[in-house]
Amino acid sequence: MIDLHIPATQSTPKIHTEHAQGRLVMQGDSYPENSYELFNQVFEWIEGFLAEQPPRALNLELHLLYLNTSSIKAMMEIFDLLQAAHDRQHPVKVSWFYDARNERVAELAEEFKEDCSFPFDILAIARSAP
Amino acid sequence: MLDLYAMREQFSQQQIMLCFNGPISRSLLEEIGNALRNYLAAEHAHPSASMDVFAVYIEMTQNIRHYMTQRDWSEQDASATVVVSRNTEGRYVVSAGNLVEQADGEYLVNSINALTGLDKAELKGLYKEQLRRPRGQASTTGAGLGLIDIARKSSEPLQASLRPAEAGRAFFSLRAVI
Repeated sequence: MIDLHIPATQSTPKIHTEHAQGRLVMQGDSYPENSYELFNQVFEWIEGFLAEQPPRALNLELHLLYLNTSSIKAMMEIFDLLQAAHDRQHPVKVSWFYDARNERVAELAEEFKEDCSFPFDILAIARSAP
Repeated sequence: MLDLYAMREQFSQQQIMLCFNGPISRSLLEEIGNALRNYLAAEHAHPSASMDVFAVYIEMTQNIRHYMTQRDWSEQDASATVVVSRNTEGRYVVSAGNLVEQADGEYLVNSINALTGLDKAELKGLYKEQLRRPRGQASTTGAGLGLIDIARKSSEPLQASLRPAEAGRAFFSLRAVI
């Protein structure tokens, strides 16, 4: 399975996967006009990983900040994939880290979490001013 | 002759931070967004407020670009008028306008007016419902996700208007107070 190493751009996040560790990391802002051009390859990677036998745990580490509504829709579809995996006893987990000064990011993560029953941590990190 | 000084006075009086009028490409939209973020940071806007203003700017301008693409209008026709200012209470105001077909404009204004009577909980319900709609069907039924998102981030009801413009088209404008 080929890992993703997508560098960040002004309007898209850095996306990085580690198949061996069962880890997917996304970091930054996401507001492309068409989020599916970017996220389709992420859906494919996750679907591929979750279809493997024997099943291994998948951890998403998110350091996402601003998401436009197109990206929010794509993220919801990612969480739907994880929810379906969780429903068939496949271990999945999301850890969403945010800057403690920006509660908007926590609220955004919280709205996603409402619709998920798998482990979903929203973690404030104290960060010095840029 | 263009009186720059008078323009400057008017901009200052109306507390206009940023304004743009003309064809809006994807890269220009991002660059103006970047400038907006820098201005907000320089004004020491709270990170949450700053993110709301930026989000409303992005949703409004991307809506305009999506509309132009759907209508298959040329890049030259893909003109937008965008203003970010502050009102007398110090709140940020994001306004954007563009040419639309009369019927599209009427539909938009009606969709937005339908949102203005809703409280935050109702808007959230509608937002989640729209989010769950299959891709492709989202923009054909009621207000799109972007407009509901703008309404959720606004502290006052959205104001939408339509005016007759050239070539049988109409000028649609939307104003959100953050």
